[in-house]
Amino acid sequence: MDEQWIQSVGIDVGTSTTKMIVSRLRLGRMSSTFSLPRYQIVERQLLYASAVHSTPLLGFDEIDAEGIGEILRREYETAQISLSSIKSGAVIITGETASKKNAQHIVHLLAERSGDFVVATAGADLEGVLAGKGAGAEKRSQTLQGTIVNVDIGGGTANAAYFARGRAIATVTFHVGGRLIRLDPQGVVQYVSPNISQWLSAKGLRIQTGQAIGFEQIKDIAEHMARSMLDYLTGKERQVSGLLVLGPHLRDAFPVDELTVSGGVGQLMTAGPVNSIADVSRYGDFGPLLGYVLQQEREKGAYPVRWLDPEQTVRATVIGAGMQSTEISGSTVHIKPELLPIKNIPILKLELTSEQLTDPEQLRKEVASVYGMGERLFEKTAGIPFALAISGIGYCSYALLQTIAQELADQYRQTFTESKTMVVICETDMAKALGQALALRCKGAPEIICIDQVRVEYGDYIDLGEPISGTIIPVVVKTLAFDERP
Amino acid sequence: MEQQLDFLVDKVVAELQKKLGEMGQTAPAGTQKTEVPATPQMEAAQKATSPTVREQLALPVEPERTAHVPNPKWQEGLNELLDSTPARIGVWRTGVRPLTKTMLQLRRDHAAAVDAVYGEVSQALLDEFSMFTVETQYDNTENYLKRPDMGRILNEEGVRLLQERCQKKPQVQIVVSDGLSASAVDANLRDVLPSLTDSLKSYGLSCGTPFFVKGGRVASMDHIGELLQPEVLVLLIGERPGLVTAHSMSAYMCYRPRKGMVESERTVISNIHRQGTSPIEAGAHIGTILSKMLEQKASGVKLVL
Amino acid sequence: MNTKTTVLGQTYQFRDLKEVFAKANEDKSGDQLAGIAAADSRERVAAKQVLADLTLADIRNNPMLPPEEDEVSRVIEAGINEKIYNEIKNWSVAELREYILSHNAGDSEIKRISRGLSSEMIAATAKLMSNLDLITAAAKIRNITHCNTAIGQQGVLAARVQPNHPSDNVQGIKAALYEGLSYGIGDAVIGINPVIDTADSVKDILTMTKDVMNKFDIPTQNCVLAHVSTQMRAIRQGAPADLIFQSLAGSEKGNNAFGIDVALLDEADELMRKEGTSYGPNFWYFETGQGSELSSEAHFGIDQLTMEARCYGLARKYNPFIVNTVVGFIGPEYLYDSRQVIRAGLEDHYMGKLHGLPMGCDVCYTNHMKVDQNDMDNLGILLSAAGVNFVIGVAMADDVMLNYQSTSFHDIAAFREVLGLRPAPAFEKWLEKMGIMENGKLTSNAGDPTIFM
Repeated sequence: MDEQWIQSVGIDVGTSTTKMIVSRLRLGRMSSTFSLPRYQIVERQLLYASAVHSTPLLGFDEIDAEGIGEILRREYETAQISLSSIKSGAVIITGETASKKNAQHIVHLLAERSGDFVVATAGADLEGVLAGKGAGAEKRSQTLQGTIVNVDIGGGTANAAYFARGRAIATVTFHVGGRLIRLDPQGVVQYVSPNISQWLSAKGLRIQTGQAIGFEQIKDIAEHMARSMLDYLTGKERQVSGLLVLGPHLRDAFPVDELTVSGGVGQLMTAGPVNSIADVSRYGDFGPLLGYVLQQEREKGAYPVRWLDPEQTVRATVIGAGMQSTEISGSTVHIKPELLPIKNIPILKLELTSEQLTDPEQLRKEVASVYGMGERLFEKTAGIPFALAISGIGYCSYALLQTIAQELADQYRQTFTESKTMVVICETDMAKALGQALALRCKGAPEIICIDQVRVEYGDYIDLGEPISGTIIPVVVKTLAFDERP
Repeated sequence: MEQQLDFLVDKVVAELQKKLGEMGQTAPAGTQKTEVPATPQMEAAQKATSPTVREQLALPVEPERTAHVPNPKWQEGLNELLDSTPARIGVWRTGVRPLTKTMLQLRRDHAAAVDAVYGEVSQALLDEFSMFTVETQYDNTENYLKRPDMGRILNEEGVRLLQERCQKKPQVQIVVSDGLSASAVDANLRDVLPSLTDSLKSYGLSCGTPFFVKGGRVASMDHIGELLQPEVLVLLIGERPGLVTAHSMSAYMCYRPRKGMVESERTVISNIHRQGTSPIEAGAHIGTILSKMLEQKASGVKLVL
Repeated sequence: MNTKTTVLGQTYQFRDLKEVFAKANEDKSGDQLAGIAAADSRERVAAKQVLADLTLADIRNNPMLPPEEDEVSRVIEAGINEKIYNEIKNWSVAELREYILSHNAGDSEIKRISRGLSSEMIAATAKLMSNLDLITAAAKIRNITHCNTAIGQQGVLAARVQPNHPSDNVQGIKAALYEGLSYGIGDAVIGINPVIDTADSVKDILTMTKDVMNKFDIPTQNCVLAHVSTQMRAIRQGAPADLIFQSLAGSEKGNNAFGIDVALLDEADELMRKEGTSYGPNFWYFETGQGSELSSEAHFGIDQLTMEARCYGLARKYNPFIVNTVVGFIGPEYLYDSRQVIRAGLEDHYMGKLHGLPMGCDVCYTNHMKVDQNDMDNLGILLSAAGVNFVIGVAMADDVMLNYQSTSFHDIAAFREVLGLRPAPAFEKWLEKMGIMENGKLTSNAGDPTIFM
């Protein structure tokens, strides 16, 4: 088999808008007929992109889950896509939205209404990375000597992802978005997000609900917000601007060479001048103004970065989620097809050192310690407590394989007595051999799923899709703690 | 849950600090130091008398590849290039000729390749797997190289030995041969063969009497097939040595091998060595291929994998 | 047709033309393997003596592989200019050899006479030539071709950069490509032998090489040396291929073993005319090599030198941009040692040139041959002196995918420097623009691949 198509869906439920796309991904054989099989996604086609819908809300801070479900139902109908044909994809519940109390409810509902595919309930970090991929920043970074940052600015948050040489190297999220300040056509402030109050006071800016605000005054706030975000992104100043950061701060000062702005606000950058309260408030919030002041910053060129046009603006995240979230495991694996798909498995890492690999006693201790951590961190379950991600092995001889398999199997069966399935992810191409070695020892108690050539880190969750043509496993790695990566 | 997350974060931070410490303060974020690959040693002599696991797993340090371009336009970029290919790049020059070190390295690797052709497989290794040896009509290495036809036919003694000592009509017949690289067998057999045997066990397949063919060519499978009539046969054979490695092995597989088989009727997994196709993974996968051959009663281009 | 002679008191009667042709060859392990080689030096010289007196008409009238039975023979027959042939058909092979080597025969005279010659007649002259004869004759002939750029001019030694990677990793290919370009290598073609035989992979590599060419404005051509049908699929999917490649054999049966025939080559030719990205008019890249017909048992008892000449007869039909013999790749059962490889390299180059082909050579060996890098130095210099159109450039001569050794970037720079040869003119201008070369010499930037990053 040389190629195979799978359908993938992306859904982005944001603070202000909701959209979905359907794409198809072509899996192609990327190995010679004389080597072990290896498949990769060789082509991604956008089949259908929905309209940009306003996210249905119940009051100010609750998403209308049923309303979302209804939108999706209609879109699937228009797209003429059957849910059963969707094999992969990701759902993004945007930063501010996700923190709202009914996020869990929405996720469940989406899983039911969008097909039995791999669902990613993303955090802001993954969202930033996917938006960066959708906006073309990742691809651009492959040819760039230096770093490119894409910031996707929506209604509630701005998700930034830094890319260098084709790899995402950091993410950061801001309380920067169009709907953080809402106002009526007369300029009366309807809502100010409490998330920016600290920053506002540090900047000496005043704005209150019920206040009738002048154009110059709201423009001043928008300019400060845009500059604070740019200060932080470029590393110019991070004390005050840091007050806008949601979640972990950037660990290092990255020299930034290029910048793209995507998201709804990114789209508004090219929507023309905003010169009056009427222009500002045309969507009931200050988003158009935020876009305009960013465009002015771009034209001014005061920041030492090259501004580029993103490949996608308002749909960057959903395109990233639908087309760029899926990876393919190595194709020599050990699986039981009837056990797949499996979803939302947290990662437990076993990083082996050369000392542990050469000394069985040290290996035993390390496995015990990592399993111990797994026991403390994750609930005991009759299912899959975690996916054990093994790295550091390099070349693995048969003798070493036996030693590792013995330790992994024995201790697992002692420690996780109830678990019916053991999931192992190897960094290097050894899943079939290790899976076989484990299975010969465990004899079905537990069952073994062993895949390889997927990179995961602490804090990631992983979804494994149904196998395609027997052994090709679609994988979605959900990165929740991106900034913690070395 | 909150506590668990904190714990996780602490663990991550600790790991990170450890790593950053190792990398040194100047290492830029996002670049990763290449780790020295863990490559457990396999000394044939040691293994024969049940060594400790520690000895088996000893780690030789491989020479690091470094670029010699004195003032590259982009130093980091140079490392990225070197990491992306085993090709001998970034080697620099004196005038239009290579540096002495580079030239000698090439000669050294060529010497290893030539030795692999003229070398012999370790008897201790064959004993370890209880393999007896048969020879083809090759006679000597020079003749082996000039007369591939002679490496395709077992000599009379070999025919007699097979008939005497081998199980007839086995489900799976495993054959090992030096081919063009004896050291490929020395380097990989201990990893490929047991992994293959485990795989056959997993599939519930039974195996005939394995043996070693000295001076064998790929098509010796046909003659052996005529003699033993296995359902499927796998030949693990040393490949023509290259300079990146002189220890590369191929697995040729065939459903009901017999005289007059053509290349397209054989299924091949090649490039099996430490830096190429993982020997243990290859062993496991060969088992899968053989079971599919038995299922589909076909091999080569007709086999659907 | 006289097939009888006496040498040193011994009389030899040869059965037929095949036997004369085979035994007139210099010693080759492949002819021995086929069981058709001369038993000793005396028999060899007897065969040469018989061959020298045969006329060109004898060769044409006694086909070793009749056109009715083989399409390559038909292509060769169809290519002969009858008028020119009639002028020379009564020449003996000896006379033809002497004419080619004479001062009367310059580049254009040889080109004219070439059109009246069959591949077998050309092979016959090679059998009567010493190594220096082969060099002297070939050095007179300049076959200039043009794809995106022209190569083959007097004083030019071009090179294919061959940045192969063991798993077709596009970044890895690019890395070795940058290294090659930084040594001034790549004017003939950026040509990659792929591991993966899918149209996707071929397209990826073609696209990457084309991107690099566009980004740096490199005056050259790209090619991925997959099977012709895979390249055709990739091209139909929009892959940017300047050249289309195929390995050729000297008989229909041999070509069938490669999975090709004349109809398929014609189809590919048509496709390139319609959908190729290059300027042309030459857009084929062929590779050949002595022994390939025997290895697929498609030699019909004909010696490997003659079969090789027949490959050129087939190649000639398609006006290729480049052709090279992969002289030492096939192994010791066909060419055992350095002496045989060097001889074959010179023969192939001469025969290709005499066919009017833009002849290059992959000066190479495998590790089970009695050859080493010093022998490649020798053959490289000899061919450069003979005016070879191009040679192959591999990082430090070590091809990490095909597992054999060719000539290195350094070697080609040295051939140029020692013999005062230059890269193709357009490419040299580009090298100067990039600061890699000045007045035909490498600058201090040369050898730094990161100048392309």
